Amino acid sequence: MEFLITSTLNGVIYGMLLFMVSAGLTLIFGMMGVLNFAHASFYMLGAYFAYTLSSIFNFWIGLLVAPLIVGIIGILVERYLLRRVHSYGHAHELLLTFGLAFIFEELVKLFYGDYPVNYRMPDDLNFAAFNIFGTDYPFYRVFIGGVALAMFISLLLMLNKTRVGIVVRGAERLPQIAQALGHNVPLVFMGVFGAGAALAGLGGAVAGAFYPTNPNMALELGVIVFVVVVVGGLGSLTGSLLASLMIGLFSSFAVGLDWSLAGAFDWVGLGDWARSVGGLLTMSISSISGAMPFLLMLIVLLVRPAGLMGSKN
Amino acid sequence: MLSNKAVLTVAGASMVLGMAVASSAQAETLKVGIVESLSGSQTSTGRLYATAARYVLEKVNEQGGYNGDQIEILEYDNGGNTSGAAAKVRQAIADGVDVIIQGSSSAVAGQVSEDVRKHNIRNRGDEVLYLNVGGEAMELRSNKCHYHAFHFTSTAPMRVGALTQVMSEQGGLGDRVYSINQNYSWGKDMQEAIKARAEEYGYEVVDTVLHEVNRIQDFAPYVAQIKSANPDSVITGNWSNDLLLLMRAVGGAGLDDITFGTAFLDQVGNVANAGQGAMGNYVAHLGNIELLSEEFVNDYQSVTGHYPVYVEPGAVNGIKLFTKALEEVDFEGGDIDVNQIAAALEQTTLETDLGEISIREGDHQTVMPVVVSRVSKDVKYPVDGTDMGFEPIEVVSAADAIFPLQESCRMRRP
Repeated sequence: MEFLITSTLNGVIYGMLLFMVSAGLTLIFGMMGVLNFAHASFYMLGAYFAYTLSSIFNFWIGLLVAPLIVGIIGILVERYLLRRVHSYGHAHELLLTFGLAFIFEELVKLFYGDYPVNYRMPDDLNFAAFNIFGTDYPFYRVFIGGVALAMFISLLLMLNKTRVGIVVRGAERLPQIAQALGHNVPLVFMGVFGAGAALAGLGGAVAGAFYPTNPNMALELGVIVFVVVVVGGLGSLTGSLLASLMIGLFSSFAVGLDWSLAGAFDWVGLGDWARSVGGLLTMSISSISGAMPFLLMLIVLLVRPAGLMGSKN
Repeated sequence: MLSNKAVLTVAGASMVLGMAVASSAQAETLKVGIVESLSGSQTSTGRLYATAARYVLEKVNEQGGYNGDQIEILEYDNGGNTSGAAAKVRQAIADGVDVIIQGSSSAVAGQVSEDVRKHNIRNRGDEVLYLNVGGEAMELRSNKCHYHAFHFTSTAPMRVGALTQVMSEQGGLGDRVYSINQNYSWGKDMQEAIKARAEEYGYEVVDTVLHEVNRIQDFAPYVAQIKSANPDSVITGNWSNDLLLLMRAVGGAGLDDITFGTAFLDQVGNVANAGQGAMGNYVAHLGNIELLSEEFVNDYQSVTGHYPVYVEPGAVNGIKLFTKALEEVDFEGGDIDVNQIAAALEQTTLETDLGEISIREGDHQTVMPVVVSRVSKDVKYPVDGTDMGFEPIEVVSAADAIFPLQESCRMRRP
């Protein structure tokens, strides 16, 4: 029971963090069709800007202003780089963002050094939210979950209930008609890209204080964020949330499970044989918990090629 | 018309000149290639090894160089991966290096060591030395050992041996030890070493975990596992994020009474990131700035711009051992034979601030003392801009720290 509750709690919060970072990517892909490889770099920039701002002013100003700066960088990237290659198709956009990811990483090293910086949550947030089975549960984890939830709800409401949402969806579905109706479609795209980048920046500002802020953070989270978007169904916000939670829970439960293929062979009485063979057969799930998201992606792609909530299933 | 005498003088002078030119053309420059991770995710460690090696070699150049010439130091960026390393080793050898220095990542070290071994088999008389300043995998000292590879760094048994000895003396070890390590050669070595020491120091290994390297973002599930095993101490060989995230997660869960025994807590940025959670935890390392002579520390600071940190003191000692061996071999301005340097290196001992270090002939592992330190506020050199630093607790002597020679090392000598 303890295992069940603790693992669920940990998995859900980690899932919310993943959602926080992948929401922007989902938005950009869903609305613009751009697969933004530099997305995790915006997450990293958010963390670094928040670090700088929080050391000059305070943590909360960092949390609010850093996403805005990242958003502006996103707008500049869209306006001056992506828009130029847009007419050459998606492959060029993808390659451009791929290159940007490397440039951002080396730039961060240039300005902030190779080592993790000392970006920490303020002391008044560093307390235990509650105690569960004798273990403190850090409040900041709950805070991360809360921010992610707020992000999800406001994005959903904005896209589905407001005029801005209608224009954005219209510009994505039928750009020429939207343009004919007098909407500035390039401006809409620029705004969407900026907003997506800002969301990643907010994710970085929040998560960077809990996980170390270092030049590798984009690399570490970058791949998994893609897995979230693919599993969720490219472009679906609800799908992303679902995928994030699944990956969070899968990874969390896998750590505690000492299952192996040899254990499965026990059912047919071949357990001892399997253990004597060793290798893959005795590898426990816990030692490959990091591969869980990719396993999940494989299965989802085989069963539902467009992802869990993808529109083209 | 020139007199006969004048002709002779001119001829004589040109002969002297010619001989001088010939001898300077013969003098072979010692070329050292530093093949390190200077970009990519391992830059933070790779850069330190390169800095430390360069520091020692440039000291030699200041003293007049070697073999009648300055030592030529070439830097190559291996990008932190084995394919990059293989390419750069080829390039370095093509550039004519005599010695290759590399440290960060055992995987890369394995690649470099094998490439050097193969090159040396195929190119008798034109061998290359490999100085491993950071690859700790036991494999490099067992079935992959070879005559031209020298290992200036410690291994898991050396670190764990020193850690368990000192932690048990200090009372930090307890009866229940939890082993959590990364799932590759280094982490497995650590886990083996932790199990192997259990009987001697009277502890029980309550659980062992191997997890993926630098891919886990959330260590909370592992903390739940640690908590349910109820250990007194956690011994881990984790480095970089895997160590930081683990310590933060344990601290956040309020399990403050668990003592950590680590191998890499002194990595730059770790103490600041772990915050107060770092206090009282142990690290076994090859050098502690608190124990180094002030003269060296200040000189290092003035040359490189920072105090010797993390792997730097150990790497400096290793390369110093190498340059001391160079003094023993005099090629008199002629061709450099690395086999002679290797033979001299086997016989060289160096007095360091911590004690004597030397090379074991059987597997070319450096026999050296290991320092066990504890994070404390009672230090001369606080780290990472905090008020904490590493207080040396005990220097475990070279003889006590060394692990037995592995039988699987069959070194063929030239």
